[in-house]
Amino acid sequence: MGRELLLILQILFPVIAGCLLFVLNRKGNRKVQKLYMSAVLTIECCLVLTGAFVQETAVEGFCLTPSVSLILCNDGLSRVFGVLVALVWLLVGLYSFRYLNETRKPVMFYGFYLIALGVLEGLGLAGNLVTFYLFYEWMTLMTVPFVFYNRTAEATRAGRKYLFYSVAGASFALAGIFFLAGNADGLQFAGNALNATANVKEVLLASIFLIIGFGTKAGMFPMHGWLPTAHPVAPAPASAVLSGVITKAGVLGIIRSLYYVIGADYLAGTYVQNVFLVLALVTVFMGSMLAYKEKVLKKRLAYSTVSQVSYVLFGLALFTPAGYAAALLHMIFHSVIKNGLFLFAGTVIHQTGEERVDGLRGMGKYMPVSFWCFTFASLALVGIPPMSGFVSKWYLAKGAMEASVGVFSYIGPAVLLVSALLTAGYLLSITADGFFPGKDYVEPTPEPGEGHVSMLIPCVIFAVSAVLLGVFASPLVELVTKLGTSLL
Amino acid sequence: MIESLRFATDGFRVIYALLAALLWVMTLLFSKQYFYRHRHLTRYFVFYFITFAAVLGVFFAADLLTLFLFFEIMSFTSYVWVAQEETEAALRASKTYLAVAVIGGLSMLMGIFMLDHAFGTLMISELRQAAGVFLAGTGGNFGNRRTYLYVAAALLTVGFGGKAGVFPLHIWLPKAHPAAPAPASALLSGMLTKCGVFGMLLVNCHLLFADAAWGKVVLILGTITMVLGAVSALFSVDIKRTLACSSVSQIGFITLGIGMIGIMGGHGIALQGTVYHMVNHTVLKLVLFLAAGVVYMNTHSLDLNKVRGYGKKHPFLAVAVAFGGLGLAGIPGFNGYISKTLLHESLVEHMHHLEAEGLQAEIGMFKTIEVLFLVSGGLTLAYMLKLFIAIFVEKGDGEEKDKRSSMTILSGIAVCGSAVLIPVLGLTPNVIFAKIGHAAEAFLGPNYFCATPVLHSESHEIHWLAFANLKGALISVGIGVAVYLLVVRGLLMKKVNGRRVYCNRIPAWIDLEESVYRPVVLAALPFVLAFFSRICDTLVDGVAGFLKATVFAPRKRKMSIWVGTKVTHMLGTVMDGIVAVLNKTLFHNHPITKSFVSLFAVSELEARQTFSLVIGSVSFGLLLAAMGLAISLIYLLF
Repeated sequence: MGRELLLILQILFPVIAGCLLFVLNRKGNRKVQKLYMSAVLTIECCLVLTGAFVQETAVEGFCLTPSVSLILCNDGLSRVFGVLVALVWLLVGLYSFRYLNETRKPVMFYGFYLIALGVLEGLGLAGNLVTFYLFYEWMTLMTVPFVFYNRTAEATRAGRKYLFYSVAGASFALAGIFFLAGNADGLQFAGNALNATANVKEVLLASIFLIIGFGTKAGMFPMHGWLPTAHPVAPAPASAVLSGVITKAGVLGIIRSLYYVIGADYLAGTYVQNVFLVLALVTVFMGSMLAYKEKVLKKRLAYSTVSQVSYVLFGLALFTPAGYAAALLHMIFHSVIKNGLFLFAGTVIHQTGEERVDGLRGMGKYMPVSFWCFTFASLALVGIPPMSGFVSKWYLAKGAMEASVGVFSYIGPAVLLVSALLTAGYLLSITADGFFPGKDYVEPTPEPGEGHVSMLIPCVIFAVSAVLLGVFASPLVELVTKLGTSLL
Repeated sequence: MIESLRFATDGFRVIYALLAALLWVMTLLFSKQYFYRHRHLTRYFVFYFITFAAVLGVFFAADLLTLFLFFEIMSFTSYVWVAQEETEAALRASKTYLAVAVIGGLSMLMGIFMLDHAFGTLMISELRQAAGVFLAGTGGNFGNRRTYLYVAAALLTVGFGGKAGVFPLHIWLPKAHPAAPAPASALLSGMLTKCGVFGMLLVNCHLLFADAAWGKVVLILGTITMVLGAVSALFSVDIKRTLACSSVSQIGFITLGIGMIGIMGGHGIALQGTVYHMVNHTVLKLVLFLAAGVVYMNTHSLDLNKVRGYGKKHPFLAVAVAFGGLGLAGIPGFNGYISKTLLHESLVEHMHHLEAEGLQAEIGMFKTIEVLFLVSGGLTLAYMLKLFIAIFVEKGDGEEKDKRSSMTILSGIAVCGSAVLIPVLGLTPNVIFAKIGHAAEAFLGPNYFCATPVLHSESHEIHWLAFANLKGALISVGIGVAVYLLVVRGLLMKKVNGRRVYCNRIPAWIDLEESVYRPVVLAALPFVLAFFSRICDTLVDGVAGFLKATVFAPRKRKMSIWVGTKVTHMLGTVMDGIVAVLNKTLFHNHPITKSFVSLFAVSELEARQTFSLVIGSVSFGLLLAAMGLAISLIYLLF
């Protein structure tokens, strides 16, 4: 009973805590808010970490209809996802205190931040596709306030665009789930839930719907439009989690539906695989190219996310254990790196008000810690060995070459490398200009200062993890490889 | 697997590690004086030492992945050297350097992916065997297996060759060397390019051992690099730029040698020549760049016209530069003679071999290459003469009044100590070089798998002073002196204010980087690709926007509130329209602001109100009655 309770508590605790924050702290004593937030986030982290080590358990909740019930289950994937979310949430939460200090009503952020955490834990723990869909929709609703937070006309427009894309994507996914439900004996994540009389055409069509639908959240072409719009207007901590975690929820959706319900073997070699591969590769390249051309820092990072999350999708599209493991690896690494990068962008905006890339020239001198964090995170994202991005790209390329996907075996790695080149172009140029502004650089007055220590610590932790996870990658590689081979 | 770094050591690697250590020690000794009162020194030295570690990592790497890792670290940390001075030229050069490094690195990585996929191993010691097994095998998604291997080798060579400075990726060298501090230039040219050469040797001697077709491609690239570098060095009027172009040219000699190794099936003579020239170039460029640093420290200029005559009172420096120049030009007695003779010998020997087989068509090609080889040797002498005479013989602005020593003792040790090596190596070819040769043959030669390698060089004793070997050097010297007297003293100097000064006759647009690479890579390609990406990007947004504007468009609401009657409204709208047009044209400065719609409406309302008042009044009634009476009266009358 204790184990079941732990699972439910992981979800309910932050949700209730968030609601309580709205109810109890209407006047908004900011010190109390911060204390409360830190406490809740830390406790939740402990809960999730404990949950990650308990035996695999399934909880069947109430039934929506006799045949459709809500199930929670902590399998390997949900542990990885849950721990990742909780840790990221804790660090970004700590960062947000200082960042949101000057804004009008931080409680609006904090409350939804906690609720979204609970919902995301639920998303990770969902044991069948219906439960997953439920949390998925709630995740959209609970994260929209992040985008609206600044209350400018632009923010409203971006929020509406985010909603439009998310709802459209979710509808696609729902259509896929409907098609699938008719051909499966229930939608549990059992590896292969299709029944013997499944209609191949319907299942394949359903997978296309699911890929596009969940791909929306993952920022996959053609439904990636919300990312570059929503990120720049949201406050930096929100952009960080939107990019670092929420997009991964889309990835999780694709994994859960394609790998756990339909089964990877079923899809390998079909036209669905080709469509998926093409979409992923187009996105990888398009995202990098547009990021290279973009001049607004956060928008550049958003396009970078578009590109990088599709690295993960490319790995998934291989439908092999190696590809799956590599995809999970890149999902984790990208989450860490991109959170670091967005927090850097936030620090810069907070300290200097500079949103454009050209404005960062020469800032390395004034914000050395932030810039070094940025540099290491960038190097990791580009995939310079021995940092984390290199490890995942190595396995992605290896997986692609070993998978029998015809010409994609070589096109895939080539596109990944070209994209890495562009990544170097759009990230390292910032570092270069930041540290080497040139002789004609005019020093700004007043001199911008380094961010507050509570903003730096999360940044540093993300940057250091981006490096160390690559240098000491073996345990993680073993973990995801085990997940991959046990599934396929 | 990727988890572990693997290292290996053998004679050749140790020799290069020792050379690297020598370079770092010498440049460090030199740094004390050179960097006196410079800024950002902590930064420089941090990256200086990290790069040292990375270079050692490159040489000691046992598999390609480890090598790649240290190669990348080396590229990134040495980038800071180039950007160190933070001048505009330095920043531009450093970006070029970084771009070549990143592009080369990624290309290399793709090659490594392909090899890993094909071989299942990346161990350098297993590459040759694995390639043999791979070529013998069938199946798999490799396409044509030999082509597959060539593609992988080409990708690797882009990375290694880019670092080495082989055409067409040599662009960073002439920009980066003058911009970097002198000790860093010495290291870049002396050691970092050799890391690239080391990689190319691995590709040629392990991955594609004794592959004549591949060797020919490398040979041609090497020849182009050799000639191109020598010609641009001849034209340059900047000391360090001359040395940098000279590096390109000498790397060309080395690359030519690497090609010959492949063509001659791993024959000792080409291998020895290549490796010797590698070592020689490392030592020579150390001396020459440090000497250039001495000139720069004291005159703050690298322009030949400004430093002219600087060295007249500096005999030690003169001897060092003279040794460097003589060594580079391959004059007997100095180290360059040994390696160039061997390289030349390998060409000649291969031609004999071809003659014996009766392949006339091929001989023509090698004949041309031999001529180019000797001409490049001559040009080497010519540009070194130009440097030496300008700095140490001629009178000019650089001549100092005081006899103060220009070097501290430490710097003197660095420059002169390194310079002593040049004749020592050159005069004892059978002692030091023989050892290096044995080590290289053990590592790169055909008997790599033998427990006790059979050494070619023992059966192939070379008589260094035989006329056949001296002939090549003499031809080069002849060409060099002739070129110096005719071209440098004639064509490349002009009279300004009654004095003959050096001038660069190469027009500015002949610059591969500025006129081809930068426009294509930074403007044209991104524009085209971004255009298509933008289309993809706005696809769904565009569709959504279109739907919003058409099918889901909100019904248009009338903006103005209906006032007045239809007639007044129509009249007013027409008038407003006219006024709007007039405002835009005639009354641009004093626009009419009143609205005729409301004006007419108000007038109409007033009229109506008046009218109703009038209707309601007694007088109106009386008026009507009177009118009625009048009408009936008229009716009765007619």
